Amino acid sequence: MFNDLFFRLRSLFRRGTVESEADTELRFHFDQQVEKNLQSGLTREEAIRRARLEFGGHEQLKEEIRDARGVNLIETSWQDIRYGLRILARTPVISCVAILSLALGIGANTAIFSLIDSVMLRMLPVQGPEELVQLQIQNSRSAGRQDPFGVFTNPLWEELRNQQNAFSGVFAWGSEKFDLSQGGAVHEVNGMFASGDYFKTLGVHPAAGRLLAESDDKRGCVGAAVLSFGFWQEHFGGAQSAVGSALSLNNHTFEVIGVSQLGFYGANVGNKFDVAIPICTAAQFDGARSRLEQRSWWWLQVIGRTKSGISPEQLKANLSVLSPQVFSAVVPPNWEPQQQEDFRKRTFVTTPAATGISHLRREFQQPLDVLMGVVGLVLLIACANIASLMLARAAARHKEIAVRKALGASRARLIRQLLTECVLLSTAGAVLGVFFARWGSTLLVRYISTKDNHIFLDLSFDWRVLSFTTAVAIFTGLLFGVLPAFRSTRVSLTSAMKGSQTSDAESKMKFRPGKWIVASQVALSLVLLVASGLFLRSFVKLVTMDIGFDRNNVLLVHADLHIAKVPTEQQPAMFEDIENRLRNLPGVVSASRSLLTPVSNRMWNNVLQVDTPNPPKGDDALANFNFISPGYFKTLHTPLLTGRNFNEGDTKTSAKVAIVNESLARRFFPNSHPVGKFFRVEPEPGQTAPPIQVVGLVKDAKYGSLREDNSVTAYFPVTQVPEHAEAQSFELRTALRPSALISPVQDAVAGVNKAIPLEFHTLAEQVGDSLVQERLLATLSTFFGGLALLLAMIGLYGSLSYLVTQRQAEFGIRMALGAPQTSILVLVMRDVVLVLAGGVTAGVCISLAAVGLLQKMLFGLAARDTVTLLASMGVLTAVAFLAGFLPARRAMRVDPMVALRYE
Amino acid sequence: MAQERIELPQGTLDLLILRTLAVESQHGWAISERIHQISSDVLLIQQGSLYPALHRLERRGWIKARWGTSENNRRAKYYELTKTGRKQLELEQDSWKKLAAAVAQILETA
Repeated sequence: MFNDLFFRLRSLFRRGTVESEADTELRFHFDQQVEKNLQSGLTREEAIRRARLEFGGHEQLKEEIRDARGVNLIETSWQDIRYGLRILARTPVISCVAILSLALGIGANTAIFSLIDSVMLRMLPVQGPEELVQLQIQNSRSAGRQDPFGVFTNPLWEELRNQQNAFSGVFAWGSEKFDLSQGGAVHEVNGMFASGDYFKTLGVHPAAGRLLAESDDKRGCVGAAVLSFGFWQEHFGGAQSAVGSALSLNNHTFEVIGVSQLGFYGANVGNKFDVAIPICTAAQFDGARSRLEQRSWWWLQVIGRTKSGISPEQLKANLSVLSPQVFSAVVPPNWEPQQQEDFRKRTFVTTPAATGISHLRREFQQPLDVLMGVVGLVLLIACANIASLMLARAAARHKEIAVRKALGASRARLIRQLLTECVLLSTAGAVLGVFFARWGSTLLVRYISTKDNHIFLDLSFDWRVLSFTTAVAIFTGLLFGVLPAFRSTRVSLTSAMKGSQTSDAESKMKFRPGKWIVASQVALSLVLLVASGLFLRSFVKLVTMDIGFDRNNVLLVHADLHIAKVPTEQQPAMFEDIENRLRNLPGVVSASRSLLTPVSNRMWNNVLQVDTPNPPKGDDALANFNFISPGYFKTLHTPLLTGRNFNEGDTKTSAKVAIVNESLARRFFPNSHPVGKFFRVEPEPGQTAPPIQVVGLVKDAKYGSLREDNSVTAYFPVTQVPEHAEAQSFELRTALRPSALISPVQDAVAGVNKAIPLEFHTLAEQVGDSLVQERLLATLSTFFGGLALLLAMIGLYGSLSYLVTQRQAEFGIRMALGAPQTSILVLVMRDVVLVLAGGVTAGVCISLAAVGLLQKMLFGLAARDTVTLLASMGVLTAVAFLAGFLPARRAMRVDPMVALRYE
Repeated sequence: MAQERIELPQGTLDLLILRTLAVESQHGWAISERIHQISSDVLLIQQGSLYPALHRLERRGWIKARWGTSENNRRAKYYELTKTGRKQLELEQDSWKKLAAAVAQILETA
């Protein structure tokens, strides 16, 4: 082994010596042979001639010796690379276009893959992540029909922690946003309520100070806070003095006790934590009805670390014994007996949590898969372009290849040379692509982040992303290189040596693979165009449909009086005061306040009871609720159809009233006029609910999302809002730009109470943010569809130009013999039509077969949408004719004399 | 040159070279001449296969080369068998004999 290596290295580095030694050796042999021939009585000339005949090619033999010494591979590869670089540098523009389109293709693939990697595949950066499992709850009654869910109440979590022995450690956490500021503009941070053993069980180390311990998480605890490394750097500049300093969260003071290690962002992938505080401190934020004691406040997620040596079956058996003990201990007291019975029968189940937990997976898995497919197709199209480029170039190098072959280069050797050039191209493309990818994936994350849901992903490249990119680069290099390399080395030496331009028959044959390539590009582009057309149309439908309110020029203001420590009994009056002040600001057309704003991701629904013969049951009896001030419908431009609006007469103590929308009226009061009718809200067990009279009917408006089918909604006066819920959102319709109102609003609210934190959105922004997924798909697929179209057209243009150059002489002769110019045009365009027809037919077939996969992501149109299909075909055909017409026109203008003289 | 010449089967050239070198160290030309003579002019070794084979064997460490002076006083490259080369020769000789015997048996009986 060592000997072998040494031998090769000597051959490689002492090349000169080794070469001359081989020369001497062969020379000696040759002379001996000549000597022998002389001795057998031949003349000197004859002796030399015989010896030479017997000996064969000196250089070829040396080449074989080099092979035998095992140096050739390294050495010739280096030769190939240098030669390849020279060839590529000779046509800088073409090489740059090739590298750039590859970089775009590979970059897009890497970007999407790195997103998939960070969302779905990456392990948590903690000790032994594969031992972690998420604990979930399975409803006994709906087992098999409904997925288990992963949220716990605090009593349930505590009971589980105290009773379990299946895990070497368990921990729980809940996320919440906190306000760092003390009044004025909100400075939000991502907070996390963590159980005492959170960091210990994960095996995360402190970067400074200490992390939370079990002793920090006891009832009645004082506030201790652990910072994430990133937040420490950002907010404290990484100073050691941060440990021991004070932090104000929603106006509660916490002492910073330490910083967690670099690279740990929490167990929720897609969100990071800035500050971790013990679960017990929730009592400080909640006041009297603390969530720590609530048996139906579901807010915690739980992960356990399995003991080594415990099989999944043993774990399952252990949990099925544990479950009834834990659940029976924490039954919610106010549930109905039947529900309580079901509650006791719930069981714990586990799912692997090595990659953490993420809401992004459900939301973005499909779009990411689709995008991965889209960018894969784009890369294929780019490859096809470079393949036809390589074919054309190889044809131009016809003579060079023939000469090299005549000098004794083997075909394998030539193919290797040509493939090396391709790998050089794709490597350059990949390196550049990695930069594009870094930039692109950061941009993508920013694109899917919204104001309320800031998505954070660890996008640093890991081995998985890098090996993906490497594999893609090699694969593409071979993909666009193999065909041209094999074809162009199939050279007939005689015809090449004759030095003539290739004959007509040959050139036609040469264009055939080019045609196939362009036709497949057309087909793939059509598929991409159809997909992007579908996403675009469905997005446009979502954006332009009648949503029942006018999203433009509305500023939304959220004011939290709770954080400002305003006593509960003073809050309604203060809200009223703020609303009046805002209404009178210059630039405000109308103002209102409400519990919920439209499409805000928050909802409140409940079951309604009516006295009609066949009242809706089950889920059909659910209606969305909102509590609004009288200005609400006017501000949002939702028309009141009949009846009256709320007014000053509707107070906390007056008769309960409601305004309903058309969907609710249709469902609960079919075939009758709803105004004047009564309904009740289903009461809590053992209580009675007062009748509520419908006083008005409004047009339907979207409540929770633009995609919802019906928006059965009941509106109640803001004065009749139940305890513990407070209408704290204000809607302002403005005559100015909504953002121009922000500072007057801040001043106006500060005039009431300086400690009130405010949050601002525009309604248009809020509606837009609810369409992140759709917008992402529409924008990116349109972008990539356009790119694909561009690449395919460059391909078509390039191939046709090449063809026209090849057949210049033929066209010249035809014209000299009297063919009209248009017949030449027809001749070239016939090729375009052929390629186009083939490509479009294949594209339509693939599209029809594949679009079904997209149906779930579309809104308001079928996947096999005729309009989209026809439009895509139209666009493609138009652009193809444009790309084909330019070379055809050039062919038409060939001067017969010039063409013939060239021949 | 009317004698019948036989193409060497794959792999036997190595064996013949090793066997030739087992007697004494030789240069390339002498190796080919010797094989030619001993085989009563039946086996003719082409330079095209001899030299690559020599360099391959050298790489494997079965033979080693040194520069010496030939009988007619010229610089020539002499090859000699190494210890591993000798072992390899025994191995290959054995397996060749077995193969030859087996082939012969089949040819005679079958």
